[in-house]
Formats: sequence, structure tokens, C-alpha cells
Amino acid sequence: MSLHFSKKILDKVSEIINRYPEGKQKSALLPVLHLAQEEFGGWLDIPVMDYVASLLKIEPIEVYEVASFYSMYNLSPVGKHMFEVCQTGPCMINGSDNIIAYIKEKLNISVGETTADGMFTLKTVECLGACGYAPLMQLGKHYKEHLTKEKVDAIIEECRAKAN
Amino acid sequence: MGVKLLLEKAHVVGIRTYEVYRREGGYRSVEKALKMATTYVVEEVKKSGLRGRGGAGFPTGLKWNFIAKTEGVPRHLVVNADESEPGTFKDRYLMEFIPHILIEGMIVSSYALGSNVSYIYIRGEYAWIVDILEQAIAEAKLNGFLGKNILGTGFDCEIYVHRGAGAYICGEETALIESLEGKRGNPRIKPPFPAVKGVWGRPTVVNNVETIAAIVSIINNGGDEYAKIGIGKSTGTKLMSACGNINKPGVYEIDMTISVEEFIYSDEYCGGMANGKKLKACIPGGSSVPILPANLLLTTAKGEKRLMNYESLSDGGFTTGSMMGSGGFIILNEDQCVVKHTYTLARFYRHESCGQCSPCREGTGWMEKILLNIENGKAKLSDIDLLWDIQRKIEGNTICPLGDAAAWPVAAAIRHFRDEFEWHVKNPEACLTSNYGLAHYADPIHIPVLT
Ligand SMILES: Cc1cc2nc3c(=O)[nH]c(=O)nc-3n(C[C@H](O)[C@H](O)[C@H](O)COP(=O)(O)O)c2cc1C
Ligand code: SF4
Ligand code: FES
Repeated sequence: MSLHFSKKILDKVSEIINRYPEGKQKSALLPVLHLAQEEFGGWLDIPVMDYVASLLKIEPIEVYEVASFYSMYNLSPVGKHMFEVCQTGPCMINGSDNIIAYIKEKLNISVGETTADGMFTLKTVECLGACGYAPLMQLGKHYKEHLTKEKVDAIIEECRAKAN
Repeated sequence: MGVKLLLEKAHVVGIRTYEVYRREGGYRSVEKALKMATTYVVEEVKKSGLRGRGGAGFPTGLKWNFIAKTEGVPRHLVVNADESEPGTFKDRYLMEFIPHILIEGMIVSSYALGSNVSYIYIRGEYAWIVDILEQAIAEAKLNGFLGKNILGTGFDCEIYVHRGAGAYICGEETALIESLEGKRGNPRIKPPFPAVKGVWGRPTVVNNVETIAAIVSIINNGGDEYAKIGIGKSTGTKLMSACGNINKPGVYEIDMTISVEEFIYSDEYCGGMANGKKLKACIPGGSSVPILPANLLLTTAKGEKRLMNYESLSDGGFTTGSMMGSGGFIILNEDQCVVKHTYTLARFYRHESCGQCSPCREGTGWMEKILLNIENGKAKLSDIDLLWDIQRKIEGNTICPLGDAAAWPVAAAIRHFRDEFEWHVKNPEACLTSNYGLAHYADPIHIPVLT
């Protein structure tokens, strides 16, 4: 893994910086960290954060403190597919506990763990803003809603199929 | 069927595209507003009586009036699409199905406020909606509604989407501004208010997605017409996101004259309780507002039918009422445990506290622990009083309202469901396998209410 964005991503970074006033390039930090996480393996290693700091001409500490504040940035490695299941009240009353228990059993991991093959990570999250479609999880860029055991099975199969 | 101002066209095939949206009458408000003086646009908004849809219900026209107009200092409109309050998913619906209405409302509002660069701050998890919004922005620009010299009026405007990264606190307007500046979402001490010193120290107005979308019909039909819809100080229409144990969870646009009963039981809205179960409790305005038992939800303490509007939902204050809040309507049936539900909310607030103020940082942690103990039959009766004490010590003693938002649900749960809490303590075994059920919570009101 070379620690550089491609030309395409670098252009995107400049485009993002240009959305904010001159000299306020730090404002691009959150969007650029998202890009970095996508490009460099799904999590933010220290060298990655240092690289982002150099791109935005800010101190590395300014990146670390932000990366550690927001729940979507991963500060340690995660599986290829991350199941982020919502567990807040409205999802709980629609059975999110059962879905979480089922995924644990099926993948044989606890919340916060990654399967040995590095395929799946299970995480519980707080309200995803989709309470009417509970229970649900975030999977990459999208939500998987109205989860049932059968749907969970299908999602796992789909992820495995993609890997082959 | 009540009037629909926001969602009327949400299901027209292809409405996400500019062509269809325009054909259906979209962007007329921009053509109209840009011919008016900016003060006149603000005046229309004031006349409409529109109140902020983000939760606090502050009059939008008044807020716009406060924006400082320092010569040579740029001003900004920032749309709050952070939408993270449990129970709330209305802004997502609007942006996902009819994105152009937000863009249209933003152009008009930017013009009124004098913002040449406006932002949409969207919660990071709504990643696919970022694409939808950026597509709509690109189309609007291609058709001359954004960019330089819009419609030849000399007004320039750009809109950018700024994606957050998972933090409920960034919905609080000053935390949102910090986050937009690329920092941790730590709320600022007010004053100065954003209208004077907001993003990058510039005058800033932060408004909710739904608030800005409502501007379109206010300009199209006039503020007076908008004010005729609804009742009292609850003018216009309101989006409600309904979830929990109902037949039809979803997003509904209501005329604020309907009753709570109609909203829950009529086929037009929630379609009644799922599986024929009984209604036990409801949080009518997002997780931060007080939970009410069925009896106080359907009728006020005075015995009047409760209506779905700002005044009626808060009738009785926190003693016997609740709030409209963000319109996140969470319905619990007789099988639900209020203690457990409250525990999940306490966990949520502990997770989301930014940690700046000790009453909030420490208090949310203690509330979560005690509630979990009660839920698991591991608490003493005095723990209920301790819980009550802790929430009181948070309320009003913090930099931002997240502290209050964490305290209120706990306070209301104890206030109205104290015997359910006590039952857990007194039945440490039974509470692990069964629940307190509907109990007397749907009975005609007779319980003395703790203040
Ligand atoms: C902890 C907290 C979270 C909030 N979250 C949101 C939110 O997700 N969306 C929103 O529009 N307003 C939210 N608000 C309210 C905003 O601070 C602000 O009042 C609102 O965006 C103003 O817009 P309005 O006047 O159009 O309602 C939140 C407030 C607090 C204290
Ligand atoms: S009340 Fe809580 S969230 Fe708000 S500033 Fe204080 S610690 Fe942060
Ligand atoms: S509680 Fe799960 S999406 Fe809101």
C-alpha cells in the first residue's frame, strides 16, 4: 500500500478544498478522511492521518482528535464488510436484539470482533435515522432494512459471493 | 386528506430529476423570489408563522431577521441534515424522494439571507443521499438556478454538501459549525450566536431541512396563505416520522389540526397498533421529549382531545404533557418495557455526549448504569430516587441542550412509570423473563402526577 492518493482522488481533494473559503482548508477534513478511509483499507492508520494532515497543511494532532471523535472513522482494522446494526430504542422494540444475537451466532463472533477470514466485522451503533424500517444495519454506503434472519443469511451469502 | 405542501409530488415518477420536478412546477419560487426585495422575502416568511422544524420550534422569520449584515463580511446559510435524534427520519425521506425541493428552498433562502455559498451538513451515514443531493445540485446549476448571475438577477449562489461522520451532537447548531470547520463537534458557548458569529466567524443561519423546504410553498402561495393552514401558532404542515409498534411506520405530512388518536389509528396515517395490541406509551417528538402513557397521550390532563401540534402536545408542560420536538413519533405497545426503552436512550446520550461539561459527561454515564441495573433486577428502590436526582442535576447546568435532552426522557419515565420501575426492583427474578405490561397506563387518568 503506497501512501498516496491517486491523481483522480487528489483532484477530488482539491475540488473539496475549494468548497470552503481561502485559508479554511481544514474544513475539508471530514470529507477527506472519508476518502482516505475508503482508499486505504477501511480504517485510518497513523501514517494515513499524517498524510491527510500534510495534504490539508494542518498539524497531525488536529487530524487525530477529529478521527477519534467521530464514530464512522475506524482507528483499527475492520473486516471487508462491516455490519453496523442499530440498537437504539425504536430498533430495540422491533427486535434488533434478536438480529444482533443471530449475527453473532451465525458468524461466531462478538460485537466489535472480526471473523478470522477478515470478511466480517459486527458493530452495534446508535440510531441510524431509519427507525421506521427497523430492524436495520448499515452495510457500506447503504442500509439493509426490515431485517429478518433470512435476510441476514442472504446478505452474508451475497458478501461471500462477491469475494469469490 | 389534509393539504400536502412538501410531499404532494414526492411519488410522481421521476420527481428526483430536474425535468420532472420542473414540469411539476418546481423552481417557480426562485423565479418569483429573485424579483422581490430580500426584505420582502423575509417578510413573507414572518407572515407565514413558520417555526423551525429541527426541534426547538423557533420562528424562522425572526431568526432570519437576526442575521448580522456587516458590510464586506460574507454570510452563510447552513442546512441541518444531521438528523440523528432517535425516532426521526423525515429529512431523509424528503431528501431521498424529492431532493429538488430542498435545493429550491435553499436558493430562495440564500437569496433572502445574502448567502452566496450555502452548505448542507448531512449525517455521514446518509452516504447515498449525498449522491442524490449532488446530482440535484448539478442539475439545478446546469439549468441556471445555481452558479453566477442566477436568472440574470446578479445573484450568485453555490451549494455544497458537507458529510459528517457519525456524531449526534453535530445536530446542535454550534457543534455543527465546529464540525463544518473540520473540528470535533464540541458545542460553543452562546452568545455570540451563530447569526452574529457562526462558521469561520461569519454570520450564519442554521435551519433544518424541512424548514427550508417549507419556504418553497410560502413564496409560491404567500405567507398569509401558509398561515391559514394549521391552527394557532402551529401553522403550515408538519412532517411526522412514525415508528414502533404500529401497522404503517413511515413519514406522514400532517395538517396540525388532527388529533393524536386519528394519527395513530386512522388508515391514512399509522393504521393502528400492529397485531391488535394495545397502546401503552408514546414519545411524540423524538427521543429527547417526555414519554407519555397512553391516557395522557390521547387526552390532556384537562380531559381534552390532544392534537398533533406544538401547543396541544405540550399542554400541561412537563408534568402531564410533552413536545412536538422533531416530529419523531415512537409508539410502544403493551409488550414493551419502559425501563428497557429508557435504558437504550440513556445509553444513546452517554455515547453521544461530547464530554465538555461534567454534569452531562458523568451524569449520562451514571443514568445508563443505574437504568441497566434496574432493568436487570439488580437495583434498590433508592436507586430510582438517585436516578431522579442525577437527571435534575444535569438539566440546565450544561453548555448545550444535549444535557437536557438526556435528562428529560429519564425524568418523564420515572414521573409516569414509577410503579414499573419499582416492579423491577421488587421482582428481580420475574423482571428478567416477563414484563409489567400495560398495567394502568391506558386507564382514565387518576394517578397523582409527580412534579
Ligand atoms: C443535541 C442536539 C441535536 C440536534 N440535532 C438536530 C438535527 O439533527 N437536525 C436539526 O435540524 N436540528 C437539530 N438540533 C437543533 C439545532 O440546534 C437547531 O436548533 C436547528 O437546526 C435550527 O433549525 P430550525 O430553526 O429550522 O429548526 C439539535 C439540537 C441539539 C441540542
Ligand atoms: S451538554 Fe453534553 S453534549 Fe452539550 S456541550 Fe455539554 S457535554 Fe457536550
Ligand atoms: S433507532 Fe434504529 S434507526 Fe433509529
